[in-house]
Amino acid sequence: MRALSWAYLAVAYAFVFLPVVVLVAFSFQDGRLPVPPFQGFTLEWYGRVLGERDLMEALLNSALVAGISSLIALTLGFLAAHALARVRLPGSVLMRGVLIAPMTVNYLIIALGLLTVFNQAGVRLSLWTAGVGHVVINLPLCFAITYAAMGDHQRNAERAARDLGAPEWKVLALVSAPMLAAPLAAAFFLSVTFSWDEFIIAFLLTRFDVTLPVEIWSMLRSGISPATNAVGSLVFLVSVTLVVLLEVFVFRRTK
Amino acid sequence: MALKAILPMTAATLAAMSCPGLAQELNALVWCDHTDPALIEPFEEKFGVKVNLKEYEGTAAGLAILDQSQPGDWDVLVIDAVDVGRAVEAGYLAELPADQLPTQNFFPELVMAENNMVDGKTYAVTEKFGYNTISYDKTKVDPADMEDMASLTSGKYDGRIGIYDYYLPVLGLVALGQGINTADITPDTLGSLKDPLMALRAASKQVSDVVSAQTALATGEVDIVVGGGEWLTAVLAADNPNLDWTIPKQGGLRWAQSIGVVAGSTQPDLALEFVKYIVSPEGQAKLATSSCYWGMPANAKTGDALSMEQRAILRWQEQPDFLKRAQLYPIPDAALDTAMQDLWTEMLNQ
Amino acid sequence: MGWGLVAPALLWTAAFFVLPFAAMVALSFAHMEGREVVRGFDPGNYIRIFTDWTMLKALLNSLEITVVVTVVSVVLAWPLAAIIAFRVPARWQRLALLLAVLPFWTSYVVRSYAWLLVLGQNGVVNKALLSLGLIAEPLEIAATRVATVIGFVHFFVMLLTLTIYANLIQLSPNYARAAADLGAGRWQTFRHVILPLTLPGVVTGAFLTFVLCIGDYITPQILGGNAELTLPQLIMLQLGRSGNFPLASALSVVLMAVVTLAYFASSRWLRLDRV
Repeated sequence: MRALSWAYLAVAYAFVFLPVVVLVAFSFQDGRLPVPPFQGFTLEWYGRVLGERDLMEALLNSALVAGISSLIALTLGFLAAHALARVRLPGSVLMRGVLIAPMTVNYLIIALGLLTVFNQAGVRLSLWTAGVGHVVINLPLCFAITYAAMGDHQRNAERAARDLGAPEWKVLALVSAPMLAAPLAAAFFLSVTFSWDEFIIAFLLTRFDVTLPVEIWSMLRSGISPATNAVGSLVFLVSVTLVVLLEVFVFRRTK
Repeated sequence: MALKAILPMTAATLAAMSCPGLAQELNALVWCDHTDPALIEPFEEKFGVKVNLKEYEGTAAGLAILDQSQPGDWDVLVIDAVDVGRAVEAGYLAELPADQLPTQNFFPELVMAENNMVDGKTYAVTEKFGYNTISYDKTKVDPADMEDMASLTSGKYDGRIGIYDYYLPVLGLVALGQGINTADITPDTLGSLKDPLMALRAASKQVSDVVSAQTALATGEVDIVVGGGEWLTAVLAADNPNLDWTIPKQGGLRWAQSIGVVAGSTQPDLALEFVKYIVSPEGQAKLATSSCYWGMPANAKTGDALSMEQRAILRWQEQPDFLKRAQLYPIPDAALDTAMQDLWTEMLNQ
Repeated sequence: MGWGLVAPALLWTAAFFVLPFAAMVALSFAHMEGREVVRGFDPGNYIRIFTDWTMLKALLNSLEITVVVTVVSVVLAWPLAAIIAFRVPARWQRLALLLAVLPFWTSYVVRSYAWLLVLGQNGVVNKALLSLGLIAEPLEIAATRVATVIGFVHFFVMLLTLTIYANLIQLSPNYARAAADLGAGRWQTFRHVILPLTLPGVVTGAFLTFVLCIGDYITPQILGGNAELTLPQLIMLQLGRSGNFPLASALSVVLMAVVTLAYFASSRWLRLDRV
């Protein structure tokens, strides 16, 4: 039984890592096709990828869209969670439901709905419109995480601050937010991750300036190439570095 | 606190990014061969402008994009030469000054006045052409078989065929195989194409876009691509010299793409300059050998700007014979177009 | 005061989620005349979806793939989560979990592409099996439904491992001990105690799998090789090639309806707010 467990674990890890290993290995392929046989080691593809203007712009676009849309989603989600957790409002169950609803809807549908409305309203597609879509998908997440994290502990501290005469915005900014730093950080970084990696909304709602997944998609359409492997490996490297840093500096501390 | 400072700052950066500097921008709705930096950069440098490119597939999608845009959104349009009329009818193309276009240097068949002109006015100019026929790996199939379309569904090549995922040329080829001219495809004759199309699908391994078809042929996943041609195999010539193409005895299709200035462009002069650059020998040579797909330049004077090797790959010498044996794409009206697309979707999901 | 704080989020959701969705539903009852969208109340798109075999088949393909993927992913992920929760020493569990989901962080588009390289005719799997002499001819996996399923399962095993693990470690060992004290065998304890207690984790993960899987365009598009169409592929075809927004909208509404049914089917055990 015990041996079987470890064997299962090994097979599972092999399955999980197989595509990543192949992806990274053939990014060093000295040849035009990233399939066996391995023809030798080269860094040429990385050089080419890093020199590609469109790709680097897409990378920056992705970072901006992810950062800004996550900040907006976090702010809106935090404020709404704060209100619904503290104040008894009529219909608060319904409001919670409405705020969570986008979570259960496919991105494709959100994108198509926004595309319809933007078209009718004559709004030009851009990174901004894609960002609006990303706020829609991340707002429920930010709301749910911060809502779940609000407890009596914060409530008492907030009440104390209010009793001492602090205006509400000060209570929010100087008491509630710092006390919820960890869940807020978690919500923010999860949002960034989702936005960073999101394809279909960004694909349907951008025009000339695109995000990284869309750029990679158009790269794919020009054939399999070790250059695509190189991009994928770089993105993986950056993401993993971020995850490890977060794990060490943010989540570990909060335990 | 920092949050408050960062937000407007990043917003400003984003706004600045979406209109970099004060450089003029040209917005072009194009096919993928125009996205090759080698083609675009010389123009950008010469005029000190930035060219924004958006790819689309299929005329219906292109027209839908224009439909949803506002006047001034687009400056240049690349479109299937046979569909120029549709775009003009919808009011998307502006008239071009015919005297500024080098059509006297074009291959005569590629001036295509009947397509590019409406009511005596020129709205677009042909820029590139080629053939949709049969591409194959000559070491894996009998080249003699490729001269007859019937051999594709004979059973000999089952599971080794890829179909190019574009309904117009492939339905056109299937029609030629049935002895129907592309111009004679109607809602009535379309029904008779269903069985041969499904038979072809049954004999094939995949239906795929340009690049997947190229990759499949280059890596040996398929040995034949129906709907292929020089545009499919030329990019791969250096990697796999065994790839070849032919026009079978039933004939093949000639594709041609045209370029024009979009009506309502806010910078028609710059847009016209771009069109002129594309049809000049310099632009034509780069377009002909673009990274997405190759094709014959419409301007016959381009020959000097291409290397001997490039001309050999494009089969420059054989063009007179090829041009004679190839028919134009079908030109469906909206109803027939929908019927053709539905038949195609049905085939995809067979 | 409370209204002022909750209003921005509600307004945003109303303007960019509720309104677009309503607009899409309205559009789904329009139809095309040539290239013109003619608005009205025309159920023609829905009639077509449920009578045209091409459309219906796409829906069925999507459902089949999604159900297979969900079941296979749960079956593979449960033991993985359990082994990490019960066999791996506590201090290594976080690392083990982090490793198990590390490929999560490759770009989603790239992940499907990587599987294409692995499964292709000349891919690593075929080359390995050929050189080991296990097969004579390369297996045709890429450009088939099998490839789509493998690509999906890979992703969702990681997701489900997380949700099931989160559920497992909350279980007090006392349950198992109590069951043992009452004379339950190992299998009985598992079947009647542990498994039911992990149902919320399983169902939450399975529901997420279902929603994400049935709405995904990239994986079947890259790995399925057009061998058959799924619902999202059909929607994208209507958008990208035909420019038929009304039909695309109607297909999306059908997709939405399927997801809603799945939601009600699993709502008893769903813990979405705890994900």
